[in-house]
This record gives sequence, structure tokens and C-alpha cells, in this order.
Amino acid sequence: MTTTLETPPSPPPQSAMTPAKPSGSTRAPRGLVFLAGAVAVLLLVPLAFLVLEAVQYGWGAVVPKLFRQLTLSLLWNTISLSVVVTALCAVIGTLAAWCVERTDLPGRRIWAVLVVIPVGIPDFAVAFGWKSVFESVGGFGGAVLVMTFAVYPLVYLPVAASLRNADPGQEEVARSLGVGRYRTFWRVTVGQSRLAVMGGCVLVCLVVFAEYGAFEILGYRTFTTEIFSEFNTGFDTAAACALSLVLVLLSVAVLAGEAATRGRGGVSRIGPMAARLVRPQPLGRAKVPVLGAFVVLVALALGVPLGAIVYWLFAGTSSTLPPASVASAAWHTAFYAAAAGVLSTVLALPVALLSVRHPSWRAMTLERSTYLVLAMPGLVIALAFTYFSERYASGFLYQSAYLLIAAYAIMFFPLALVAVRSSVARAPASFEEIGRSLGRGRLAVLWSVTLPLVAPGLAAAFCLVFLEAVTELTATLVLIPTGAQTLSTQFWVFQTNGSYGQAAPYAALMILIAAVPSYVLGRWFDRLPSRATVPK
Amino acid sequence: MTNLAVTDLHKGFGSQPVLTGVDLEVPAGSLTAILGPSGSGKTTLLRVVVGFERVDRGEVRIGGKVVDDGDRYVSPEDRSIGYVPQEGALFPHLTVGRNVAFGLAKSVRRSGVVGDLLELVGLRGWGSRYPHQLSGGQQQRVALARALAINPSLVLLDEPFSSLDASLRANVRADVQAVLRRSGTTALLVTHDQDEALSWADHVAVISEGRIGQFDTPHALYSHPKDAGVARFLGEANLMPGTVGADGVRTELGVLVLETWSTVPASGRVTVMVRPEQLELSTEADGAPLAGVVREYQYFGHDAVVKVQPDAGPADARLVVRINGGTPFVPGTRVGVRARGPVLAWGPADPLPEPA
Repeated sequence: MTTTLETPPSPPPQSAMTPAKPSGSTRAPRGLVFLAGAVAVLLLVPLAFLVLEAVQYGWGAVVPKLFRQLTLSLLWNTISLSVVVTALCAVIGTLAAWCVERTDLPGRRIWAVLVVIPVGIPDFAVAFGWKSVFESVGGFGGAVLVMTFAVYPLVYLPVAASLRNADPGQEEVARSLGVGRYRTFWRVTVGQSRLAVMGGCVLVCLVVFAEYGAFEILGYRTFTTEIFSEFNTGFDTAAACALSLVLVLLSVAVLAGEAATRGRGGVSRIGPMAARLVRPQPLGRAKVPVLGAFVVLVALALGVPLGAIVYWLFAGTSSTLPPASVASAAWHTAFYAAAAGVLSTVLALPVALLSVRHPSWRAMTLERSTYLVLAMPGLVIALAFTYFSERYASGFLYQSAYLLIAAYAIMFFPLALVAVRSSVARAPASFEEIGRSLGRGRLAVLWSVTLPLVAPGLAAAFCLVFLEAVTELTATLVLIPTGAQTLSTQFWVFQTNGSYGQAAPYAALMILIAAVPSYVLGRWFDRLPSRATVPK
Repeated sequence: MTNLAVTDLHKGFGSQPVLTGVDLEVPAGSLTAILGPSGSGKTTLLRVVVGFERVDRGEVRIGGKVVDDGDRYVSPEDRSIGYVPQEGALFPHLTVGRNVAFGLAKSVRRSGVVGDLLELVGLRGWGSRYPHQLSGGQQQRVALARALAINPSLVLLDEPFSSLDASLRANVRADVQAVLRRSGTTALLVTHDQDEALSWADHVAVISEGRIGQFDTPHALYSHPKDAGVARFLGEANLMPGTVGADGVRTELGVLVLETWSTVPASGRVTVMVRPEQLELSTEADGAPLAGVVREYQYFGHDAVVKVQPDAGPADARLVVRINGGTPFVPGTRVGVRARGPVLAWGPADPLPEPA
């Protein structure tokens, strides 16, 4: 046995009467704190660049760009659109989730799959589908139509999950306490899903803020489209920078508003509860109309975009397309997305380990700060990186693969963190303690115990980031390495030229590539509740 | 020789003190049980010894070497302590064989050590299974083999049998005891089950409110607990007031002979303990020193417990009597009660504790 005596850094010699010092085991290893801190700093770098850039221009240059008629109309366009889309998504998503999870709707299993698929189709491809079939779709109405059917699954998914996991016992208790069926639905069922609905609405709102491609196709101007054209056509960086700051503030306001209404507790339930089979509520005479509504929903959300892509695939003049270009774009897309997936997952691990294994207010603050990234639209991150490389690295990294991969990894970091964190939380710390009692050091235990146990979560994190990166358009257009094309940028080139037939294969391939990790993710999330942490 | 020595150990979480001055010496090669109710700090003591928690004050020595005194600290991986937690906590991603080999150097793994260890716990040939393919008892035995693999100076067991079925528990307990005896390992078992502590260990330390109340052999602990609190915790005890005189101690059961080790004054009021098995019943209240009415009769097959309400005394007073199962006593029957053999008593200041 080799025994090493460590001398802890801080404590001075203690007299017998000094009060107890804080518990040793909750003190995080310094290496882990350092790594997690470095990740948090890295994630906030784009925001720092943006502020730095604005400061460089000075108030004199930035303020006039902000306080003009255009800003006001963009603000109105962005906010009115996101309010209407969020409200529609909340209604459609919640009602659809309730019908699928809690009623005797015929074909619930099939509907459960069909209503979720639109989340895997990029919003700009949905807009393309509508626009290429119905030329007149556009403006505010068109934007509402396209965005609602493209993103309502962001509400549906968390609400369905919360209804699945909610304890039906609570509803039974309410009934036994003399509360009627409809008041039980409002006070208990909706109450249980309230946080899920709000969480979904926040996501919808942020997506609408950040969207570029769909609005460009539909001819609807928001902050993001304006920032892009300022950057792209005029190279008016001061204006782009000022508008970006407003956009970030808007997103922060939405996140803060959600956090405030969520209350201090923040956690809807402590652990996954054993879901019992709930007796489905009979729809009765409403059955046929509800079924009809589902048919219409799937036809509009799934049928139109997929139908349009398939139509152009065959009707278009795909023969003129050089096939090598598709292969090369697919390769670049997969490579960048995979690299970003690995990077994001690796960055998420120290933050997740610190916040789960060594919880303290400092670890919590650090973890929360990484969620600020959610308030940074991809375009803003891309622009911040561009400014940085032009100003401080004399263009060195600009339009290099590194910068694009780093931008993806930062943009989608919160997704990776959610997946890694949940799997770390499910792997009991006792396994790591045993590993250490058997004579292995921290790093050896991390490698031989922790990583194998959290591997499914790491895979899920990789898939989530990969999925998002494959279908990313806005940041990619800004940061794409010279000479390279991804599926989304190549699609964009053809689409902008009106070559719908040539654009369609890229959209189809993008959706196909994204479908693989979606399938893996679906399997992973299905297994979540049944996975026992400690085998009996 | 002392293998584990804990001196004046203090440990708290936040402002909540858990251990408030634990002193404990575990002799090398012995099996020691730490017995205490939940919340008494026994698991915390174990976690401090293995190194998962740091001491606030005090000292932990293993084999004479300081492993934690608040200043110097040896990390768990360098203490060479085998640890068996409640659910065994076998690594779910590794086979049984690789679980056992986890703490072994790579060069040792192929030398047949793993097979020998599995043999020791009666699971030779199970090395390629995965933990979820094993029963609870088998998992515990693998966890023990894994802990023994590192040739530990000390094995700590944290309520390792409590998650097993009652029918399985006694067998696994005996198996584990046999394995530890064969390997000559010093072991410390934490439990809240007094039968487990008394039947398994060479020494038992009773812990309550963050301190060791008494450390003794099981027999000594049961027959001469140092106060009424320890006596209550170790099995049922009838506690009653008594007066010491020249001929013994006068109680409601007549004049009884005092155990020689009772710490009582030459005369005056004391607390007397009579174990249920020291009492016997007669069907008629004739010559017995105490008469009463049977209020409860619990039959266990091998024996039975009768609760008697003495005639002279409050309505809720009960004497607990353990008898051979032979004669059933219907509640309501009048009986006479008499005590056998010398009884234990504690000196004047000891108030009667509330029944547990």
C-alpha cells in the first residue's frame, strides 16, 4: 500500500476549539473547477466580442443606428410575430399532446410519431416547401403559418413527456376530494404541465427570434434578417452590432421572464415517477372532429413541406446537377456537425460533473451562466466570431473550419449539457466512491467508471448537437470555409436562384441525415424512465 | 494490535453535528459491528473512515498510520480499505470477473486471483456474468470479493444485508462472516439490526447521538449494558424501581439477588433490569411474588412472549415474559410471575427511560 499524505491548501493550524470547517468531500477538485470555469468563459466569449465591438464604435456611431424608424418597425415585426406564433404553438402543442396522451383517440401511437416529425425538418425547408407550391404565401400571415407548423413540436414534446410522467394519482386524489372532472383537468393536469408548456413556449420564442432562412424566403423582415443583410450587403458592422445587442437583450428578457414565473423551486418533480396506465378519457362525439383536426395538422405540417421536396425532386431538372457536389456537400455537413457534436459533448462534461457531483452556489451560477448562450442567435455568434477574426486575428481564422465548428459547438452547448447532465445525475456517485476505495485515482475512476456509465448521455448529447448542426443555415452562411459547401448552403444557393429542382435533393438529404440521430435519440429517451440506476 | 483507531472524532454537515467525539479501537483480525438507530451517525463514521468525508476534528488511524486528522489526509484510493455498500453497487457495465479485478494491477489480473476470490465467495465460474444476472445475495458476495481483492487492511460493510430478503439474509450473513474469518480480515459492519450485530460480530459498538455508548463483546453487552438506554436498545428489558438492602434488591418481584457487577450504592433507590427470559409464569397466583393478568400473548413457535399487567400498578404497566412455546396463555388469565437468577441494577441517578 502506498500512502501519500496530502496537505490541503488553506487551513491554518487549528486549536481544539476552532469551529468545524466545511465538509471535505463536497469540495470540488481544482482541476474540475478550472475546466468548468474555462468552458463557461469560452461560451461567453461571443457576447464579450459583441459588447467590445459596440464599445469600439462608440455610442456616437451605435445610437443613431438604434433609434430610427427601422428599428421600431423591426421590433414590432419580431415581437408581434413571436407572440402570435408562440400562442398558436402553445395551443396546438398542448391540445395535441393531451389528445395523444390522455384520450381514446384512434391511432394514438401513429399520431405520436407523425406530429413530432416536423421538428426534424429545418424551418427554411418548410418555408421553401410552402413558397415553392403556393407562390402567394408570404408576409406576416405566411410567416405565422410556416413557423407555427414548423415549431409547434417544441411545445408538444415537453408537454407530452410531462403528461406521461405526471402522477395520475394526483388526479385521482383531486377527484376523491370532491373536485369535478373539468376543474381537476384545469387545476391538476394543466397545473402539472404548466412548466412544460412554458419551457416549450420559450424555445419557440427564441427560435422565431433567431430564424433567418424562412423569413428571407417569405419576404418578412425581422431583426435577424436585417442583421444579416446589413452584414452581407452593406457591411455596415456598426448597425449589425447594435441590432444584435437588441436581439440578445430581447432573448435575455424572455429567458428571465420564464425564470421569474417559474418561481424559486424550478423543479416540477424530483424524479421520474412510475407511470401507471391511465384510463383514457373518452372523446365521445368529438372523436371524428378531433381525428379530422389531426389529419389537417399532419397534412399541413408534414405533407406540404415533404410533398413539395419530393415533387421537386422528380419534377425538377436534377439531371443538370453534378452529383459530386452533393456528395461533397454531404461530407462537409457530416464532418462539421460531427466535430461540433464531439466538441460540445466534451465541453459539457466538466460543467455537468461539477454541478451534479459538487453542488454549491458557485457551481450553480457557473452552470446557469452557460444557458445565456440560448439568448445568442446563431447569426449573432457567427458575427461575433467574424469581427474577432478580422479585428484581432487579422482574418486568420475567418472562414476556417475551426471557427465554424466552434460556433456550432457553442450554439448547441445547452442541448449537450442537458443530455450529459441528466445522465451524470442518474449514475450514482457511490460507484465512483467504490472505484476510489479500490485504489484508483480520480482520473482513472473517471475513465473506467464514470464515462462508461454516462456513455448513453454522451451519445445523446452528440446526436442532439449533430442533428441541429446538420440543419443549421444562418451561421453556416456567414462562417462557411472558402471553397466548401454544406447541404444547407448549397440548398440556399439554388433556392435563392429559384432552381427548386436542384435545391430539393439537398433538402432531402439533410432531412435524411438528421433522421438517423433523431431515431437514436428517440430510443434513448424511451429508455429513460425504465433504466434502473442500481441493479437489483 | 489495533488496526483501526478513531480518536475524538467530530463531523458535522453545515451547522448539523453528526458525530460528536467518537472514540473507537478495532482490534486487528476481529469483526466489529457498529449498532445504532437510523440517524445516529453510523454511516457517517464509516464514510469518514474510508475517506469519502473529511474529519472536522479528531483523528483516524489505520494500522497505526494517521489517515485523517483534519490536517493530513490520505485519499480513499491510498487507504487500502475494502468497502461494501448497502446495495453492493457492482459496476453495471462490467462483468463479475472484471468487477472483482477492478482494484487489481493489470499484471495480477490474469494470475488466477479473480478465480480464487470467486471461489472464496462460492461463485467460481460466474466471472463472465453481468451483475443484473445475479441474485441480490450473489451480488453482495461479489461485492465482498471485489473489496477483498485489493488485500485490504480493513473491510467496511455498510448495512450490506438490509436490502436482502429476510430468508436470504441469515445465510448471506453467515457466508460473509465465514469468508472474512478465513481471510483473517479486520472488518467493521454498520447495522441497525441488533440480532445481526450480536450474532455476527466479535465486538459491538453501540452508537447513539454521535458517540459510542458502549464497546464490548456481544455477550457482555447483552448481559451487562452500562445503562438503561443501552439495555433497551439491545433487546427487550423490564425496567423497574428497586431498593437496595442487605439481602439484595427489593422490587415488585420480591427480593432479588444483584449481579456482582451492578454499579449501585450500598443502600437506596436503583433501577433494576429483568430480561424477559429471566421471568417465569405459573398458572395460579399462589406463592408467586407478583400476581397479574395476561393482556397479550404472541406465539413465535420456538417461544412466546406474554405481556402481563401487574395487579399492583397502573393500568398500562406491562411485564414482558418470554416463555417456551408449550402452554398457551389466553388473555385474561390470572398468572403469578417470578424472577430467576441475579439481576442487573444501576445506581440512583438513572431515571427510567421511556419504552422504545
